[in-house]
Amino acid sequence: MWEFIARSLEASMIFTFAALGELIDQRSGILNVGIEGVMLFGATFGFIIAKSTENYWFGFLVGMTIGALLGLLHGFFSVTLGVDQVVSGMGIWILGFGLTTYIGNPYTGPLGLERIPTILGLSPFFYVGIVLVIITWFVLFKTSLGLKIRSVGEDPSVAEVSGINVTRTRYLCVTVGGMLAGLSGAIYSLFYNPVWNYNFLMGWGFIALALVFFSMWNPFILLGGSLLFGTLWQLSLNPQLVLPGIMSRYIWRATPFAITIGVLLIISTKWFRLRWGAAKPEALGTPYVKE
Amino acid sequence: MKLGNYELKLERRATLAGWQAAIISIFAIIFALALFSIIFVQAKVNPLLAYREIFSYAFANRYGLLLTINRFIFLSLCTSAFIIPFKAGLWNIGMAGQLYAGALGAFAILFAFGVKDFHSLNISPQLLIFLMLFAAAVAGAVLGAIAGFLNGKFNINEIVVTMMLNFIVFWLVAHMIKEGGPFMNPGGRGESFELPSSLYAPLIMGIPFTIFLALGIAALLYFLFAKARIGYQIKALGKSPAAARYAGIDTFKISLLVFVLGGAVAGLAGYHYFAAVPGVYKIARNYGYFGDLSFYGIICGLISLGNPIAAIPVALLFGGLSIGGRLVQGKFHMSFGVDYALLGVLMITLVAFQFFYRYKIVWRRRKD
Repeated sequence: MWEFIARSLEASMIFTFAALGELIDQRSGILNVGIEGVMLFGATFGFIIAKSTENYWFGFLVGMTIGALLGLLHGFFSVTLGVDQVVSGMGIWILGFGLTTYIGNPYTGPLGLERIPTILGLSPFFYVGIVLVIITWFVLFKTSLGLKIRSVGEDPSVAEVSGINVTRTRYLCVTVGGMLAGLSGAIYSLFYNPVWNYNFLMGWGFIALALVFFSMWNPFILLGGSLLFGTLWQLSLNPQLVLPGIMSRYIWRATPFAITIGVLLIISTKWFRLRWGAAKPEALGTPYVKE
Repeated sequence: MKLGNYELKLERRATLAGWQAAIISIFAIIFALALFSIIFVQAKVNPLLAYREIFSYAFANRYGLLLTINRFIFLSLCTSAFIIPFKAGLWNIGMAGQLYAGALGAFAILFAFGVKDFHSLNISPQLLIFLMLFAAAVAGAVLGAIAGFLNGKFNINEIVVTMMLNFIVFWLVAHMIKEGGPFMNPGGRGESFELPSSLYAPLIMGIPFTIFLALGIAALLYFLFAKARIGYQIKALGKSPAAARYAGIDTFKISLLVFVLGGAVAGLAGYHYFAAVPGVYKIARNYGYFGDLSFYGIICGLISLGNPIAAIPVALLFGGLSIGGRLVQGKFHMSFGVDYALLGVLMITLVAFQFFYRYKIVWRRRKD
């Protein structure tokens, strides 16, 4: 049982890091539907570097760097060129999926390094994740930078008039967001499941995207959602823990995705929205052109 | 930027004519292929030689051409499945799930008629083939309808929903064809049972009849968007949901409709690959590969700016590139996934070129 809880926490942290990055993006008004692609890049390059240098630090560093670069690329497309954000995000996802399949293939197989040690029996990323959630909340809601980010996400033209540099703020957010998604991918391939395989993510990034919608754009709710989905994911891999012998293991694998749709349905009902209000950043997804 | 008496400026386009869009798209494809040469160079393959191999195999070799045409039919159907919701401003990235559903639907008909065990039939094959096609379209449409309903009724993000459905049906197919699933091959190879030869889709000069479906649907869609009232309503929703609502258009109905139609077309793509392509005739173990290929449909749809007729040559080209890419990969001992990498590079180049749909570079004499 303890092992299951520890493993679920590990899975949860992958969702937390990626979704936290996306939350920061979205708070500044930028939607990046391509986090799965960024994660694939971070995971694949982190894996290759860690394997060839036999050093975890380089792996994580490269994962974060490539994530940040892809975040910048998304920023360049959607902020500077004014391309539709969904088109750009899709582009990054398909680029990630296509290119990492080709680049990673010669490295198919296990990482072959000693496992990263746990701290008090739990993943070290659990502690990092908790700290990151608190920092993100603090920065977003208690600092002037956070106020800038949120105002850019609500109404960029008003923010611009009050002296905030919309472009710079959005670039900052997409870069940090990409970095976190890249790191999340690297945690997957270097810690959670250190084996490179064709298209190994199978939807983690898209669930992380959905988690941001569930979270009402609040880092603490996001953490709760990640813990729930990390546990669900782990359960879907080991259904015998709860209901031995019921349904084939393939059907279990589908359950986290079905539950995601269910939760999206609940939060979009009138009842829910009247109760909890719409926290959605007003300018989310719309390009801002300075007149 | 100033150069002597001339200056180089970016100007926003007021309108974009069809031929201008076509030129930009052609440039985007050429640029992507040039960019992709880096992959060949890095693998120590001469890019010009590689492209000559790709094109001569895909379009001039008898076997290669047949493969290309089969791939084209598949991509063309996936592209239409993407374009219909896209015209309404909605993203159908669920072609993968919808085509798996279509394949399951088609095989469910055979299962229901006991084809799996007996291989002998007392019902006309033509009727069964028709039923398979119908079931494939219905199964795809049902999956599409879920996304359309949730989007139209509750405004739930259709990208997330269609992607979730992709994974749900992916695992459902695994359940059906593997480890004792109802559609499992009697040989137990982790793939579905095979079609009896009497139910192979009819071929015309070696090409499955589904080519007429693909071309017919594209032509029908062109007509729908150019002339029909419903096509106008779909486009109105895509241009501005608020304006469409003021004009009295039932946005719920349109969201549902576009996803039902898109899903049905993607379901036919599933029928095509698993029941009509010579040499397959079963839900193969690597069915996920065909699901992934369906994402080429997104690129075809975007690059042709949602024009179903313009998408035809693009789908043919991309079909050839993906077939030729596989050949080159084997021939020059490159790493697995050359066709995937090409998909990625084409897509990201296209995204960058979106800029030119809205801006133009002008080169003129300075006024001062």
